Amino acid sequence: MATTQVPGHFTLLYFASASSFTEKDSETFQAPLSLLGLFNELEKKYPGIRDKVLCRCAVTINLKYVDVDIGSDGGEDEPDGHTSEDALIIKGGDEVALIPPVSSG
Amino acid sequence: MSEEARQPAQILKEGENIHVELTHDHLDIQTTINRVRSPKAGAIVLFAGTTRDSFDSRPVLHLTYTSYAPLALATLLTIAKAVHTRHALTAISISHRLGLVPIGEESILIAVSASHRQAAWRAGEEALEECKSRVEIWKREEFGGEEGGVWRANSDVPVGRRQRRASLEEMAKVEDGEQEDR
Repeated sequence: MATTQVPGHFTLLYFASASSFTEKDSETFQAPLSLLGLFNELEKKYPGIRDKVLCRCAVTINLKYVDVDIGSDGGEDEPDGHTSEDALIIKGGDEVALIPPVSSG
Repeated sequence: MSEEARQPAQILKEGENIHVELTHDHLDIQTTINRVRSPKAGAIVLFAGTTRDSFDSRPVLHLTYTSYAPLALATLLTIAKAVHTRHALTAISISHRLGLVPIGEESILIAVSASHRQAAWRAGEEALEECKSRVEIWKREEFGGEEGGVWRANSDVPVGRRQRRASLEEMAKVEDGEQEDR
């Protein structure tokens, strides 16, 4: 998905239900921004998105899944460490994607 | 729609025997079978997923598939390689169609070849279940008119969590030097 990179910004890709809810395929946000900060901004901009969409989404940054725990008590203990979403910082030039439950086949 | 059909297929291969593909074109069964055919293989199993005309007894006009293409391809290749290794396959090919798929047409073709039939049956089923669980493709059912359409989910568990768990399990198997006996 080719998008023009604006310096100091990152791209957020919307798929499936996320795309229907926001009525967009993608959007840019100013970097740096924590994942928690992004979710808060999304809820401000698209009220209800947290409960209707985000809580069922996985998140990737530059094609790699990141651990998120939206609205639950805490993450699982992973042997290789667990980054909480307020510590995870999205940088300029990153490509972030919301991944709703998949349905191939 | 014609613009979609003109998009070139996206293909990832690992050597000659592992092939995964996203395409807006019709999926061709004979081409897929020929891709995994080999003098080393005594069995070829093909799975074709076709679009049904109803869901929950509601008539469906057609399905449309969208994907996060670079990630979907990477996940398809990971699955194909893992299934190829686990079942000692000769070859494997997975193709998924994107865009509008009319009722009755194939949206996914999986072909596996193996020396013997047991491995081929099991590998074909496993490849399909893995794809449905993990590949970053979404299906939308269109009902038509005011009813619009609905995004389907194969499962409610966010795929990222399953991916993470799966890769940790795979790491553990490698460390223990275990090979699952299927």
